[in-house]
Amino acid sequence: MWDMMLLQIGNGMALGFLYVLIALGLSIIFGLLGIVNFAHGVFFALGAYFSITLFGVMGWWGIPVAIALVGVIGMLTEVVLIRRLYDKDPLISLIVTFAFSLLAEAIIRTLWGPVGQPFDAPDALNGVLIWGPFVIATYRLAVMILVIVILAALWAFLQFTPFGRILRAGSRDPGMVGVLGINLPHVLTGTFGLGCVLAAIAGSLAAPLWSVTPSMGEAAIMPAFVIVTIGGLGSYVGAIVAGLLVGLVQSLAVQFVPEASTAAMYVLMALVLLVRPRGLFGERWERFE
Amino acid sequence: MPHVARAVEPIRIGLLEAKQGPIAEQSQYLQRGTFLAMEQMGNELLGRPAEIIWDDEPSAQAAGQNALQLIQQNKVVAMLGGALSNFALAEEAIAGQYKVPFLINNGAAEEITGTKCNPYTFRLQSPVPVQAAAMLPYLENIGKRWYFLSASYAYGQDIVNNFKSLLKGIGGTIVGDDQVPVGTSDYSAYILKIREAQPDLVIGGLTSGDLSSFLKQWKDFGMSGKIPFTEIGVGDPDLWAVGKDNIAGIYTTMWWYKDPNNSPADKAFAAAYEKKYNAPAADKAWMGWYSARIMFESINKANSTNPDAIVEALYNWSELDGGINVHFDRWDNQLIHRLLVVGIKKHIPNQWDYFDVLQSVPSNDAEAAVAFGTQAQSACHMTPL
Repeated sequence: MWDMMLLQIGNGMALGFLYVLIALGLSIIFGLLGIVNFAHGVFFALGAYFSITLFGVMGWWGIPVAIALVGVIGMLTEVVLIRRLYDKDPLISLIVTFAFSLLAEAIIRTLWGPVGQPFDAPDALNGVLIWGPFVIATYRLAVMILVIVILAALWAFLQFTPFGRILRAGSRDPGMVGVLGINLPHVLTGTFGLGCVLAAIAGSLAAPLWSVTPSMGEAAIMPAFVIVTIGGLGSYVGAIVAGLLVGLVQSLAVQFVPEASTAAMYVLMALVLLVRPRGLFGERWERFE
Repeated sequence: MPHVARAVEPIRIGLLEAKQGPIAEQSQYLQRGTFLAMEQMGNELLGRPAEIIWDDEPSAQAAGQNALQLIQQNKVVAMLGGALSNFALAEEAIAGQYKVPFLINNGAAEEITGTKCNPYTFRLQSPVPVQAAAMLPYLENIGKRWYFLSASYAYGQDIVNNFKSLLKGIGGTIVGDDQVPVGTSDYSAYILKIREAQPDLVIGGLTSGDLSSFLKQWKDFGMSGKIPFTEIGVGDPDLWAVGKDNIAGIYTTMWWYKDPNNSPADKAFAAAYEKKYNAPAADKAWMGWYSARIMFESINKANSTNPDAIVEALYNWSELDGGINVHFDRWDNQLIHRLLVVGIKKHIPNQWDYFDVLQSVPSNDAEAAVAFGTQAQSACHMTPL
């Protein structure tokens, strides 16, 4: 029994890292732009679809090109649609982005058809690694390592680069940043693009594991919202901790109450919100309260 | 008194297929087949213009509400659809209450033509007990320690209950039984449990996109060649989505586009579909087309939109296919039709051509009577029209 628990804990961590990547983009977009982006799942799906299509044309080089392309589409979306929502009620942004996600899903269905797209992990990453009680698929381990590298790079980018500092300052007091002569609209466009890039990386990494269908974003968006809520809206560290917690709770729920494995993350969310209504790492943000 | 010319009111057929969620991909094939059948009728029924009104199935409750809306607001004369068993059950209740002929084209839960039957609801897909019994001879040879992995809704539970009953009959052992919420995208924790339990066979009861995700991850954990996996009533699109290098197992399906025993009408449908969509017809497209064709032919035969006349025409509809008389049993409104037990080809030539047909069952009317059961065995207590 203890061996199985350790096994599921290890598996939950691996799953959690994928969740972290999906949720982080959502968290950044909410934290810096104040937008409840229900279309985040669409960029996740586009990451998978573009990766599969461009892989067929350019090989593995097609994957980074696909991710960059999703980032560009994200920035265009911000300029055309999202920008108009900044001074509106968060509920409006939720409704508009939900409508956009339905439209985008229909476009994906039209362009790629209703059949799921097959996509395999590299041959070198097939198989499992066994270490004591832990068993992990090689591909999942590779995903975990890659996500850790991305998280570290992103943290360094936000902490130590001028763009990162502007982002953090703009999220707290956009008016002051504007007074200082910084072109905030460009920064916000870049931020939305960054969030979409993170979703696209997650979609690309999930493609060999999940069913790549036009509605695959739906499966990603709910855990992402739960993680962002548990971690605290807009919190970088919160998204990481909450993503790992959700992965862990889901894996252990499968071991003991499999029929409640999906409900388990909602129970966790309810418990966290009872104790900390702003989430584990949530702070009071003047803009939203 | 001046004569006022009025446009002829079209005959409306309601179609209920999911536009979202895990069954949306299968639904699109069902919908394509249904609309193709209408095109082949020249968009006319009873010599009048006819149209299909397609509504969504976002949840069981909403599916029932949409069925009601089709009946009350759109005045449909008949309905087709029911992509998932729980949606179909909700729609069936409305069809029975409002006396509108309804042919379910995908739901396979036993209750549909069992305890929840009504005289206005008919069903195309072979029920779970028939499909499970067809698989048994193949599964028995693999081993008798089975692990169940099923979706926690009507159809999944039906699969588990029927296979458990069959396993008991052959003196086998249940090694594990996990119920998975519909829409689950990650199966790693379940796969680790199965890996630990080391069963002879895994019996799946997963739906559509969930099955594709599971099979991908099954391969990811290196399980494909180690523990056999099987599932009944799968859709071609779900397996096409997995990729030819990842697919394994034995399955049942109602139709396969390359089955050499397909009827001339089926072959013509497959050709028309491929011409229109530039891809082979999936079993679900055929199921949409076949059920629509049966309904449309029955409406024309009834020569009326009166629901009781259409129901009577459905009872009288029949054709010969694969050595059996395809028709609806009067005591439960279940279509008697053959189904295929299929295995995965050793060398898959392209992204579509996965299956070898292992057997077509039942192969004659006597076998069909045994497989689908008698009135005395049926849980349906049909009320008069």
